[in-house]
Amino acid sequence: MAKKKVSTKAGSTTKKPNKLSVFHTAPIFDLLHNFQRAPDQWAARYILIITAMIIRSAVGLGSFSGFQEKPINGDFEAQRHWMEITINLPIDQWYFYDLQYWGLDYPPLTAFHSYIFGQLGSLINSDWFKLDASRGLESVDIKNYMRFTSLISELIIFSPALLGLITFMGKKLNISRIDQIIITCIIMCQPSLILIDHGHFQFNSVMLGLFLFSLLDLLKGSYILASIWFMSSIFFKQMALYYAPFIFFFILAKLFNNYYDFNNKKYSNLITKFNFTKLISIGLTILITVFTFLSPFIFCNWNDVYKNLNQILIRVFPFNRGLFEDKVANFWCTTNLLIKYKTIFTNDQLTKISLLLTLISILPPNLMIFYKHIFNSKFSKTSTNKSKYLSLVYGFAASSWGFYLFSFQVHEKTVLVPLIPSTLLFCLNDDYYISIIQWINNMATFSLFPLLKRDGLALQYWVLLIMINWLIGGFKLKSNLLFQRNSWFWNIIFTLSYLAVIGFHAIDLTLPPPDYLPDLWVILNTTISFGCFSLFYLWLLFEIYSL
Amino acid sequence: MSKGKKAKSTTPPAIAKGGKVPKTSIPQVEKNQDTSIDDGSKFVAKKYSLVNVWIISNFLKILLSIGYHSTDFEVHRNWLAITYNLPINQWYTDETSPWTLDYPPCFAYFEWILSHLVPPFVKRDGCLDLVQQGDYGLPTIFYQRFTVLVSEMVLLFALQWYINTCKSHSESRRGYVIASSLILSPGLLIIDHIHFQYNGMMYGILVLVINSARLKKYLMCGFWFSLLLCFKHIYLYLAPAVFVFLLRDYCLNFKSKSWNPFKLINWVNSIKLGLVVILTFGISFSPFIYYNQIPQLLERLFPFSRGLTHAYWAPNFWAIYSFFDRLLIQIYKNIPLSRIPLYKIFKFDPLLLLDPKFLNTSTRGIVGDTEFLVLPTITPKLTFFLTLFYQVMCLIPLFIQPTFDKFMGAMSLCGYASFLFGWHVHEKAILLVIFPITFIIVKDKRLLPAFNLLVSCGYVSLFPLIFTSSEWLIKVLYTFLWYVIYSFNFRNVTRIPKHLANSNNEFILDRFINLYILGILAILLVISLIDLFEHKFEFLKKLQFLKFIIISVYCGIGIISSWNGFSWLYFVNDSIFKDD
Repeated sequence: MAKKKVSTKAGSTTKKPNKLSVFHTAPIFDLLHNFQRAPDQWAARYILIITAMIIRSAVGLGSFSGFQEKPINGDFEAQRHWMEITINLPIDQWYFYDLQYWGLDYPPLTAFHSYIFGQLGSLINSDWFKLDASRGLESVDIKNYMRFTSLISELIIFSPALLGLITFMGKKLNISRIDQIIITCIIMCQPSLILIDHGHFQFNSVMLGLFLFSLLDLLKGSYILASIWFMSSIFFKQMALYYAPFIFFFILAKLFNNYYDFNNKKYSNLITKFNFTKLISIGLTILITVFTFLSPFIFCNWNDVYKNLNQILIRVFPFNRGLFEDKVANFWCTTNLLIKYKTIFTNDQLTKISLLLTLISILPPNLMIFYKHIFNSKFSKTSTNKSKYLSLVYGFAASSWGFYLFSFQVHEKTVLVPLIPSTLLFCLNDDYYISIIQWINNMATFSLFPLLKRDGLALQYWVLLIMINWLIGGFKLKSNLLFQRNSWFWNIIFTLSYLAVIGFHAIDLTLPPPDYLPDLWVILNTTISFGCFSLFYLWLLFEIYSL
Repeated sequence: MSKGKKAKSTTPPAIAKGGKVPKTSIPQVEKNQDTSIDDGSKFVAKKYSLVNVWIISNFLKILLSIGYHSTDFEVHRNWLAITYNLPINQWYTDETSPWTLDYPPCFAYFEWILSHLVPPFVKRDGCLDLVQQGDYGLPTIFYQRFTVLVSEMVLLFALQWYINTCKSHSESRRGYVIASSLILSPGLLIIDHIHFQYNGMMYGILVLVINSARLKKYLMCGFWFSLLLCFKHIYLYLAPAVFVFLLRDYCLNFKSKSWNPFKLINWVNSIKLGLVVILTFGISFSPFIYYNQIPQLLERLFPFSRGLTHAYWAPNFWAIYSFFDRLLIQIYKNIPLSRIPLYKIFKFDPLLLLDPKFLNTSTRGIVGDTEFLVLPTITPKLTFFLTLFYQVMCLIPLFIQPTFDKFMGAMSLCGYASFLFGWHVHEKAILLVIFPITFIIVKDKRLLPAFNLLVSCGYVSLFPLIFTSSEWLIKVLYTFLWYVIYSFNFRNVTRIPKHLANSNNEFILDRFINLYILGILAILLVISLIDLFEHKFEFLKKLQFLKFIIISVYCGIGIISSWNGFSWLYFVNDSIFKDD
């Protein structure tokens, strides 16, 4: 009896004939394939999310940025301090209060988010967020509470967005259920996001989750919803502006309609059929969203409206800071080794040069996709070509890498912004792409190492890095997904960069840097990462070109 | 394993049985099969492997290594120091630290080996200092955590052996669920990798015992069990079952028709087994016999001076007994009318109730004796007789019919009896029941409710061991996840007896049991809220002990019910425990 039951169950697996998963040799497939059957797949998602939460809270056992570094501490203290000032001060003082000590310099949604969690935390223990008295508080309780806030924020915003997005992509790109689950798992387990949000401590997952919601609505074609999500993302963290040029070009292209959607093929149709109503409605949506987010600051104090809003702007966009602060794997920091920019140009000139270079770097992907969406039949309304959906992911990835590499005031953590759309390319579900995406995933994590080492998160870095590569099957001799099957070019690149990573860690572990160059190892790290990032950026351009 | 399943599912007969697959899909399926064969890997032959499961759990365990660890960590560190620094004749007499060596010799040898493998930088960290209170840092922690991970490989190998010796595909599928559920057990995660102990290795040896018995390798079974006892004597609780099984199945010979008592005994086997057992014990105890240390050793191993219940009540019969005592004290104090009848019934000394010293005995948090003020006091003898009584009861059916399944049932019931009625039982001892019982529940669907109740209550009762807030979410989520995955998987692989296949009547009780298990969530919520708001409201601090009472009474009732349910099936439904 039992045997019969088993076999009928097994029979239903074949109901949906699909080719063997790309991941079929990887341990992750071995672990998750139990949920291959359709009725079990609901369970797989919850299991995935709970597992992700367990890993995140286990990483959270480690230290955080600025732990025991009095008097200024780090990002952790900044976030806690913002909870403290938002719940204790009237709204018009949020952006003015004691700016020297972690003054609020994120947009209003972050402030509101801090307010909510500050109030919730004060319910539990009012000492955590006492104005001024709580500065530098690092007790176990507050740490756990803060860990909990970042976990819950990710659970509420990032996870559903990602699940929704992968399900959508799965339908459009014909990805089997089991592969959808595996891809979701890989993206959820990417080390960079976990280490920064739950180790170092920030709320990037909220910004990225809002962006993913926006991306999902762009894919679905509901641009008004998408712009609301996107404005929320920007108003949570200004970093989301890296995505802004592409979303602008994309929506613009969509307003023009595709040439092949017209019944009579005339180029004049492009102008005459331009969708002005949609343009106005999107514009209005953006204005209303912005107004809504800013309204508390407008209505709280009628007399100083201008002063308040201007202060937010000044705080959020610190143009007066330098080209770069820490060592980052971008163009400026790397070429600075050869050309000392700060001695040649003034700060103002540098700002302009970097703006120009950034523009040059983001224009090609944007213009190519803009052109393709109008003049390529693959992108018409009726087309079901994969490129139509992938172009968005490619575009966001390429233009945000452009920003990361060339704009000024980039932090190491900013790598998350281009990384998220890049890892979404796992949806291509092909071993050629998987090896490249996982390579950039690894290199991005690697570029965070100096920061994580400073935070005391080296153990977590190693565990997560090895775990994700092991899950994908990177430690197998046969059919290793970290390497290509055919392309010798990529295999050389991979081998060289992985060897460089190993070499770097060997040096870092055994030798202290020379006294007169204390940052030498860090620069070595950023140089390796910069090489890989630029190559990946060029590859993305090529991919967009050949879409 | 994945491939095995896939291959099975893609064979045409399976499709034919399923009967739902459109014909057009069949060619494609076959094509898939071809491509996979092209891959070069042997399709059907691939076995269920635990390695991946074990590795993935290790990532989590490594992340947990820097978290909370209990005093047991210092205990084991001290044992490393004792075995490293002292000659063997002083191991059981050293009293430098209060954490004296109180495990049998093999464990001491094990610590001796570990202490000699300590790398120099860990040694500099103070790992091997024989002092009253150790002063150590991260290197020591990483080293000792690492030894736990490595020693757990015994469990990995034992369970893999169990899977590999399954005879059919469906059996090994069931074996895989059993084995992976044990290797991922939240109990082991909490006790070994957060709290710190070496249970993974001990239970690995127990699995070796179980699998040797399953394969009818009696000498091996005897050897492994003797070795296990030389590692940790808590397994004496399971000894009656092993003894009766080996005696009846190996040493006695009922097949000969004659009633000559001399022929009843299989002398050759008895002598072989006896030699194995005596040699194992003899060799491991020999240095201590040589130095005449046996009395000291035994005194360390069996400290009868401890109280009936552990500081945190293990969820057993005595927890409920203590709870009633507390309840009656409150009734006595607050309801004057009840005083005379209570006094008449229980004949206690009412003066004691006025002494605050006695009233607070159990709230102290350290290991202390619980005094019963209203109910009659429990003596070690009584607990001993109760345990023995229930153990003997479950051994009778085993003696009559010594099948492997009966053996597992008897072993589980021995574990139950000692856990529920034993003297000074730790909550950790629940694994003594969970490990053997896991091996039989896939036999019949009717066993599942008892198992679900046991694991949920048993694992949740371990939560108070880890009281730090950092690990709260991890222990709760991990246990929840484990329960969801395995209640689901066990339901899938468990056999359903023919006559019950289409009726739901038999399973109505399941609903109540599931409801009770859900109730644990509510209990956890209440307890966590008390924890959370302790800082804010003073009165919650007084409820400190109440939290533990709630959890152990609730889990205690659950475990006792699961014991009842399981015993009922064991004694009444003989068909479940017959070998195939």
